[in-house]
Amino acid sequence: MKYVIIGNGIAATCALEAIRRLDSHGRLTLISDEDNLPYSRPLISHLLAGTLPAAKLPLRPPSFYDDLGVETVFGHRVDSLDPTAKTVRTTAGKTFSYDRLLIATGGDPRGLAVPGHRLPGIFFLRRLADVRQLLPLVGEGSEAVVLGGGLVGFKAAEALRCRGLRVTMVIRSPWPLALQVDEFTGRLLLDRLRQHGIRVLLGREVKEFAGRERLAKVVLDDGREISAGLAVIGKGVRPAIDFVPAASIKTNQGILVDECLQTSVADVYAAGDAAEMWDLAYQEPRVNAIWPEAAAQGLTAGRNLAGRRARYPGSLGRNVIRFFTLDLLTIGRTNPPPDGPYRQLTAAAPDGSWYRKLVLHRDRLVGAILVNRIEDGGILQAVIRQQRLLRLPPAKLLDRWSWSELWQL
Amino acid sequence: MKKVQVHPERCLGCRQCMFACAAAHSRSQEAVGALAEQPRPRARVHVAAAGRHYLGFPNRCHHCEPAPCLLACLPGAISREPATGTVMIDPDLCINCASCAMACPFGVLRYAADWTAPAAKTVAIKCDNCLDRQLAGRLPACVEACKTGALTFEESDVALERKSREVARSLAVDGERETLLPPTVALLLEMKNGLAASNDAADQ
Repeated sequence: MKYVIIGNGIAATCALEAIRRLDSHGRLTLISDEDNLPYSRPLISHLLAGTLPAAKLPLRPPSFYDDLGVETVFGHRVDSLDPTAKTVRTTAGKTFSYDRLLIATGGDPRGLAVPGHRLPGIFFLRRLADVRQLLPLVGEGSEAVVLGGGLVGFKAAEALRCRGLRVTMVIRSPWPLALQVDEFTGRLLLDRLRQHGIRVLLGREVKEFAGRERLAKVVLDDGREISAGLAVIGKGVRPAIDFVPAASIKTNQGILVDECLQTSVADVYAAGDAAEMWDLAYQEPRVNAIWPEAAAQGLTAGRNLAGRRARYPGSLGRNVIRFFTLDLLTIGRTNPPPDGPYRQLTAAAPDGSWYRKLVLHRDRLVGAILVNRIEDGGILQAVIRQQRLLRLPPAKLLDRWSWSELWQL
Repeated sequence: MKKVQVHPERCLGCRQCMFACAAAHSRSQEAVGALAEQPRPRARVHVAAAGRHYLGFPNRCHHCEPAPCLLACLPGAISREPATGTVMIDPDLCINCASCAMACPFGVLRYAADWTAPAAKTVAIKCDNCLDRQLAGRLPACVEACKTGALTFEESDVALERKSREVARSLAVDGERETLLPPTVALLLEMKNGLAASNDAADQ
């Protein structure tokens, strides 16, 4: 059995391990344009902040690929896939045939198609290589602009602030982290950003990157100019699936997969940021480009590649950040349409020390926002995953006394 | 292999397991010394207070297989100790990101400064099955402290068999059933019946 895995992120890593556990003889080939050992992508912002040495990023020992007997093809990006001939071809013209294929190519950061977007000094925060290029430029006292108020924008702003830079965040939405949180939580985050000396401009977009040889200033759509030698773009990621033949393999935002992570074509699987699968909270297929989903999907995909029928009932968007002393955990659908069958329950501490919101679709929990006291977030995630009717009155889940407070010594 | 078995129906919520656990995981590893320590030693087992919940429940890590926390850990700090299957957190690698709390369906993770972590930084804390104590031939601290048999250290199938027998015996003599039940179970049944009645009322 010849297995080919495209990608070298956590989905690919978990898939490799799962395959090898079930099939000790099959031939494993891994093709990736990055040439690192599996490393923790979410940790690169810590490297940028200077709070973690680069040595702590690899997730597996140096002998990982040898131990599993994996042939690695590094530095190559796949540019075509022929599901009929069962071959993939790389940009360098090398062709590989497979019996079973896993597409775990992840996502590429979305760029900003505005004048000057190719100037030196404009970065993404996606790969280890991005941080390596950024690090020499993060001198104290210089100015940086972070574009995007999502998680990457937050991490970039926090890291650059840790390095002593003056940071301006430019956010298109009316509040930060608008895809994950409601307005109340957004305001809390905004306060926190400003308290830590990060300038935040809301409802603004970039019109132009200006500078002669390298970035000198960022021009906004209201004409305002921010002088900055450094810009980090955090506008989300797009599944890296350009090479996938849409005529045969069904795609939407990502590659559509079933609960076994199989695409519309037999023997071709997809997992992680490149895959789009049934979302348990939204009850429709979605790309949930997050680390724990990629790990779980990769594991299930690997088992299926190795011939075992393993099911993963659906994906679920979720995130947890600790942002200067504020803890935030979001799960599932947190901003449902105001009408229709959705109900929202909220509770907050009188002193503002915590906040909770639950979103119910009829009598099923489909989303939650926790601000501080987040230790029991996993219980809520399990409740959402199970999609059961709530037997408890939902307000119990909001109750200040029902969970972790009591359990703390 | 012997494991810590939890019998919630026997728990009275006295929380002695929590105290013993915190002491066992302190630098001095005994109660008197633990009281004076900084950072404050923390328990890895958590019991909802009996007085408020009408129900004690010693909640501790289930050392799941596969473990959701292990799969979700961003820095790769969580691993499984192969001999006992114990899910362990390396305080040196932990970055206190709370990804494990988001993953754990039992809500057993806590975050606090701990003496085992470099520079007493805040790290994820949970049950480690008292592996050090087990190696020294001692019982896990929570089991040693439990006075009601809510926490035992035994083979899973032995515990299951004993429990099945207990249930069978309690059901055998219907008339004496309630007197044979431990008080917390009787209370639990009462609550359950009460809840069912109020649900019925709500439905109508």
